[in-house]
Amino acid sequence: MKSIAQRGNSDLYTGLLLVVVAAVALLYIRTLTVGTVLEMGPGYFPLGLALILLGMGLTMIVKGLTTAGAPVGTVHLRPLFFILLSFAAFGLLVERAGLAIAILVQVGLAHFASRESTWQATAITAVALAIASSIIFVWLLKIPVSVLP
Amino acid sequence: MMDVFSALGHGFSVAATPLNLLFCLIGAVCGTLIGVLPGLGPVATISLLLPATYALDPVGAIIMLAGIYYGAQYGGSTTAILVNIPGESTSVVTAIDGYKMAQQGRAGEALAIAAIGSFIAGCFGTVVIALLGPPLALMTQKFASPDYFSLMVLGLVSAVVLANGSAFRAVSMIFLGLLLGMVGMDINTGEARMTFGLIELSDGINFVALVMGLFGVAEVISNLEGVSTRIVNHSKITSIWPSFKVLRGAWGAVMRGTLLGTLFGILPGGGATIASFSSYALEKRVSKTPERFGNGAIEGVAGPESANNAAAQTSFVPLLTMGIPTSATMALLVGALTLHGIAPGPTIISRQPDLFWGLIASMFIGNAMLVIINLPMIGIWVRLLNVPYRILYLIIAVVCAIGVFSVNNSSFDIYMTVGFTALGYILRKLDAEPAPLLMGFVLGPMVEENFRRSLITSYGDPMVFLQRPISLVLLLLSAALLISIVMPSISKRRTEVFQE
Repeated sequence: MKSIAQRGNSDLYTGLLLVVVAAVALLYIRTLTVGTVLEMGPGYFPLGLALILLGMGLTMIVKGLTTAGAPVGTVHLRPLFFILLSFAAFGLLVERAGLAIAILVQVGLAHFASRESTWQATAITAVALAIASSIIFVWLLKIPVSVLP
Repeated sequence: MMDVFSALGHGFSVAATPLNLLFCLIGAVCGTLIGVLPGLGPVATISLLLPATYALDPVGAIIMLAGIYYGAQYGGSTTAILVNIPGESTSVVTAIDGYKMAQQGRAGEALAIAAIGSFIAGCFGTVVIALLGPPLALMTQKFASPDYFSLMVLGLVSAVVLANGSAFRAVSMIFLGLLLGMVGMDINTGEARMTFGLIELSDGINFVALVMGLFGVAEVISNLEGVSTRIVNHSKITSIWPSFKVLRGAWGAVMRGTLLGTLFGILPGGGATIASFSSYALEKRVSKTPERFGNGAIEGVAGPESANNAAAQTSFVPLLTMGIPTSATMALLVGALTLHGIAPGPTIISRQPDLFWGLIASMFIGNAMLVIINLPMIGIWVRLLNVPYRILYLIIAVVCAIGVFSVNNSSFDIYMTVGFTALGYILRKLDAEPAPLLMGFVLGPMVEENFRRSLITSYGDPMVFLQRPISLVLLLLSAALLISIVMPSISKRRTEVFQE
């Protein structure tokens, strides 16, 4: 996977991110009681925060569109994608297939995140981690999860 | 005075139990380890180990986590001196003269002075916590809710000072954090807020999943983007013991660095990194021979190394006496205390004397351990630099995943971590630091509670924050701090400090 060299400036994108978060929050806050200054409901404080965030986000968008700000850092998709995938796989497998398999799959997927990793080293690390974690976390610290399916 | 001594005695009886000594040692060793390894900071490591402390008792857990933080200050100097790679941001200036000394065959001298300076500064900082803690906590206990609200504002503003880059963006990150902190049950009505119907969110966003994603995993991804550096050669260490002449030369720098660091640690917006930079600048200014700086001046190692350790120690003061974190690391400790069911605040000293005095005693013990860990065993740590990152990151990933899972034994928290990792990664790319977000998240519920309570007692009059003298002073301080960041002359210096 190639890395994406982003054009455009970081003010614009930070602003967009904040506006989206604020908008989602505001949609949800609509269902809460806001109340008055004297009798503040559960929605009062979050509403204030979301409105401030919305305002700051819009300011940044305007700033980003009108001035040439700092560019966004280069995004490397390869490590991002495979690390996130490896965690999701661990989450999916740990209760269904047991800790050992979850670790082996996670390490196997995380292997692709680095260009420098070798299969030999990864395989040894994976097996060592599976054994060590089973002993430390399941046997000694007794987290309620089975080692094998 | 007698009270402090008897309390400290009690603290040592808590800290010297075999189990707590072990936790202290584990913390110190872990701290040294991450200090030595570049690309793994104390914030990431404490978030990695947070779940592991969940099973421990609160005192042991805090002793261990604190040890990681101040231990990292020791370890960071080792690689700065030997291979010119500062393990931590706090050791960046140490590398300037330390590495030069190593090239001149004086590595042992530099390491010894760094360790001795760190030890003196660490112990002095700890004494300051012991002396300053109880009276400050008593004072804070008189605070009413408007005062607390303003105190938290001050704490949040200090997060802006510490953040690198645009102040406006740092403030926006605080608000984002505050908003994320609102997720979960409303304290007054018990109504679910912004949970999107997910039962897993009714207790709020899992703190461990948030920090692990934002700091731990996102940092791993960032590290994988660069080309890893491998250290093949490093300077040989001949003699560790410095001559009397060197000791005398470093003495003044150690003292000045210690005092400067102690002050910077307590102040909001201070912190260990800024303390070490300021100390280097100060040493260069007071020196009669400033031209030696950059060419292996011992003061350039002694001052900053003492300053960062003193600051690392005294930054616990606002946390333990007022419950206000002044940096991301301290915010993590607030989270750790909360996970263990202890509300951080002025009552910690009176209600949890074991925790407060035990922690202080453990700091003395930990600092002594660190000198031993760092000086005679230095060869082991340097060899650790040879562990390639392509293996290290696999281990970190697995420990992260198990760690997050084990807090609530829920896969949901792992998916949350995936989400926060993505957010943390995006924020890094946008040059928005996640540290202010973490401060907002941690303080969010307390800010809201005190805001609501203040306005209830004042019958809805917002002027209450300006009418109470304590609150007014705190707000004025916050305003002054904010203005000082925005002011062009000072903000320019701040950029210089960060860029150096």
